[in-house]
Amino acid sequence: MWTYDKKLQYPVKIKNPNANYAKIIISQLGGPDGELAASMRYLHQRYSMPYDKVRGILTDVGTEELAHLEMIGAILYQLTKGLSPEELKKAGMDIYFVDHTAGLYPIAASGVPFDMKYVGVKGDVIADLNEDLAAEQKARVTYDNILRLVDDPDVRDPIKYLRQRELVHYQRFGDALRIAQDDLDSKNFYAFNPSYDQ
Amino acid sequence: MMNTPDRASLLHRIQAEDFALYEVALYLDAHPGCKKALRYYKEHKKLAAELKNAFEEQYGPLTIGGNRNEQHWDWVSGPWPWEKEAN
Repeated sequence: MWTYDKKLQYPVKIKNPNANYAKIIISQLGGPDGELAASMRYLHQRYSMPYDKVRGILTDVGTEELAHLEMIGAILYQLTKGLSPEELKKAGMDIYFVDHTAGLYPIAASGVPFDMKYVGVKGDVIADLNEDLAAEQKARVTYDNILRLVDDPDVRDPIKYLRQRELVHYQRFGDALRIAQDDLDSKNFYAFNPSYDQ
Repeated sequence: MMNTPDRASLLHRIQAEDFALYEVALYLDAHPGCKKALRYYKEHKKLAAELKNAFEEQYGPLTIGGNRNEQHWDWVSGPWPWEKEAN
């Protein structure tokens, strides 16, 4: 089970609200490579993962992604706090406001609501870990794109931290894949999972 | 020396104490000034801490910060919560 720590993993303190920034950063809440998808991906892959070390990595990274989801939530909350309907309209956020007001609803920047179709759980060690390596890189690219679009240092700072965590997670999933491949027969060049093919 | 209870029965006692704590915490969320509930929480928190201490000493960490082994990170040692052997 889980317990909650009443603190952010890394501080978020944004002086100037900005609906334009919120509109793009919301993709890391409910978009295809966002933090919600990341957490759901790893926490559901755990059950069919046969290696203890990899179960540990999936559990701990999946848990950290929930902390990142909260940081994105804090960024969006601070970026939209106190904005008038006119300001929202100017940024094109009136179409969000009409359904969700100032509530945080996980959607992609394009407006598509969060979908578990973003998450791959194949039940196969090699397939799942390659999915995770790609997912971390895709999230890193999204953070790079956000950094290309956002100038405010108050927003860039926690975004840079989150980007860096994607790199670390990529490293750990690399370890996980090596642990899994070392366990396969050395003549198994194509790294298929033999457990269901005997 | 006192007999150590087996893993499953010790874990069941921890689950019962933690449930009592969580249940009263939900109540306290809505009634933060209730002294009776605060007392109940304090008593059961102590009981839960003693049981968790005994469990982690014997069977390994319950939370990521609970590792006691200085030679090995037992956090990654099974059984895992979703396995029958862990319940």
